[in-house]
Amino acid sequence: MNSLRLSFAYLRHKALSTTLTVTTFAAGVAMIVVLLLVNAQLQNEFANNLKGIDLVVGAKGSPMQLILSSVFHLDLPTGNIPLAAAEKLSKHPMVRQAIPLALGDNFQGYRIVGTTAAYPEHYQARLRAGGRYWKKEMEAVLGAEVAGRSGLKTGDTFAGSHGLTVGGEVHAQFPYTVVGVLEPTDSVLDRLVLTGMASVWYIHEHDDDEAGAAGGASEQHEASPASPDSRATDAANSGQQREITSLLISYNSPLAAAGLPRLINKTTSMQAASPAFEMARLNAFMGRGTVTLGFFAWFLIALAGFGIFAGLYNAMDERRYDLALMRSFGARPGKLFTLMMTESLVVALVGVALGVLAGHLLVQGIATWLASSKHIHMTGRLFLVEEAWLFPVSLAVGALAALLPAIRVYRIDIFKTLVHH
Amino acid sequence: MLEIQRLKAGYEGKVIVEVPHLSLASGEHCLILGDSGSGKTTLLCTLAGLLSPVAGEITVNGQLLGAMRGSALDAFRGRNIGMIYQTLHMVSALTVLENVLLPQYAAGVAQDRGKAIGLLERLGIADKKDDKPETLSQGQQQRVAIARAAINSPRVIVGDEPTSALDDSACETVMGLLLQLAAASNASLVIATHDQRIKGHFHQQIRVGGAL
Repeated sequence: MNSLRLSFAYLRHKALSTTLTVTTFAAGVAMIVVLLLVNAQLQNEFANNLKGIDLVVGAKGSPMQLILSSVFHLDLPTGNIPLAAAEKLSKHPMVRQAIPLALGDNFQGYRIVGTTAAYPEHYQARLRAGGRYWKKEMEAVLGAEVAGRSGLKTGDTFAGSHGLTVGGEVHAQFPYTVVGVLEPTDSVLDRLVLTGMASVWYIHEHDDDEAGAAGGASEQHEASPASPDSRATDAANSGQQREITSLLISYNSPLAAAGLPRLINKTTSMQAASPAFEMARLNAFMGRGTVTLGFFAWFLIALAGFGIFAGLYNAMDERRYDLALMRSFGARPGKLFTLMMTESLVVALVGVALGVLAGHLLVQGIATWLASSKHIHMTGRLFLVEEAWLFPVSLAVGALAALLPAIRVYRIDIFKTLVHH
Repeated sequence: MLEIQRLKAGYEGKVIVEVPHLSLASGEHCLILGDSGSGKTTLLCTLAGLLSPVAGEITVNGQLLGAMRGSALDAFRGRNIGMIYQTLHMVSALTVLENVLLPQYAAGVAQDRGKAIGLLERLGIADKKDDKPETLSQGQQQRVAIARAAINSPRVIVGDEPTSALDDSACETVMGLLLQLAAASNASLVIATHDQRIKGHFHQQIRVGGAL
């Protein structure tokens, strides 16, 4: 028997209150772990997708929406821009690279993006063996996740549906042929279907003929959430002026940041948005929520610490006979102080260990849930250095909670407690 | 083994009992008789080093109790004095065996499970060693308390009414066991009681209260 075993004996003896305290403690820790992991992975996801994109040019509207829709493929596009204007901008001397994107359709919820091979190259994507990029209309390259989930392989065909969310009208008469599949890139590419811009134009040119014939059907189109861009791409069918959704621009020189966005915003009908700036803004919004949740989590931990304190303080009352008895058997007060401390630290340690485990399981759960949303990727199997801090901090909370009750052992009057009550 | 000179025992400065002189050799036992409220317990706790004497001297095993303070006294008490309380004070979170080992844990000496089990065997409750004390009868708990008082082989075993709650035959058995355990380590028994049945086993007796 030692202080540790004795502590366990006491914790077992009051199993209910021990369970409650451990659970509260673990809940606080789990919450912090979830915050840390989700935050870290979102930042990482953002950073991966932003890599090297200095400016996004699209239709006027919310700059945040433009960034979300074109870089992260999360939101709906702001509209379309004329291909001619985009091409003119691409030749600007300060632009090193401009990647055009044309959105409008999806396949099982995965966006079909009309672009050039520069887009996958920007993310250093590699094709799986036997694949190639598109050469003509209606050839598509699948992101790793799209291929994995749909089971499609090179040579298979599939049909896109209208709009950017599941449930749109299926373009059954214009099937795509898979000509390549990308290796996982850890970026948004994994969840995209890439094709040439010509495919997108091709479908919507023909689609519009039909829509015109169907009359009211096109009205419905425009009411759908994807309508701004699809209307625009549909308009492109008239042939006079082709359109794209946006342009991802990398600068030639850092100086471009000073003038180019302003030039575009002032002199064209297009909008230029800086991903870095918009992300900073988004972080500021989300940061507030994260901070609030963080406070709440620490509040839970403090509450658990208070639970340990109350538990031990009450236990001191019930246990003063036991403690006095041990004192009478020759236990120095320091030994009993250690005993009380051990008990609290065991609770804190078990609490923090369970909390970290629960946090990771929760994030894994969130990840599984998010996987079906096809937008953001996460895993519970990521361990951060910051988590290591939870252990000393939790132990400190445990020690602090035990301090007052433990100090009381120094004031126990053995005779009065054991004999003269 | 135990020497008392002009002892005034009490607490908070109040004298409750006085013992002018008492001298016990190793293995000699002493009975403290007196009605309840007469200060027997106060005297026992003073002998056990739980209370400082108001005046006078107590020497246990050659050591003057009043000369020790704090942890030195704690350590001395743990190794030399075994205590059986009237309220038995079993630790309910622990098993019977762990209760018996508690004084060794408290005194910080090596824990001898074999010895503890041996004691429980001699007291006839070894089969209960893994049970919680509250599942035991009063008589069984009394035996656990005796084993607990004897585990550190103290020079003096102090008992507060260890037999008064027991019937005649149990009283004889417990008294026999106490004497046997005391003899095994050549310890002195100092028993406070108003139980007249056990008088015959003691070499000396002092009466407190009333007949001061």
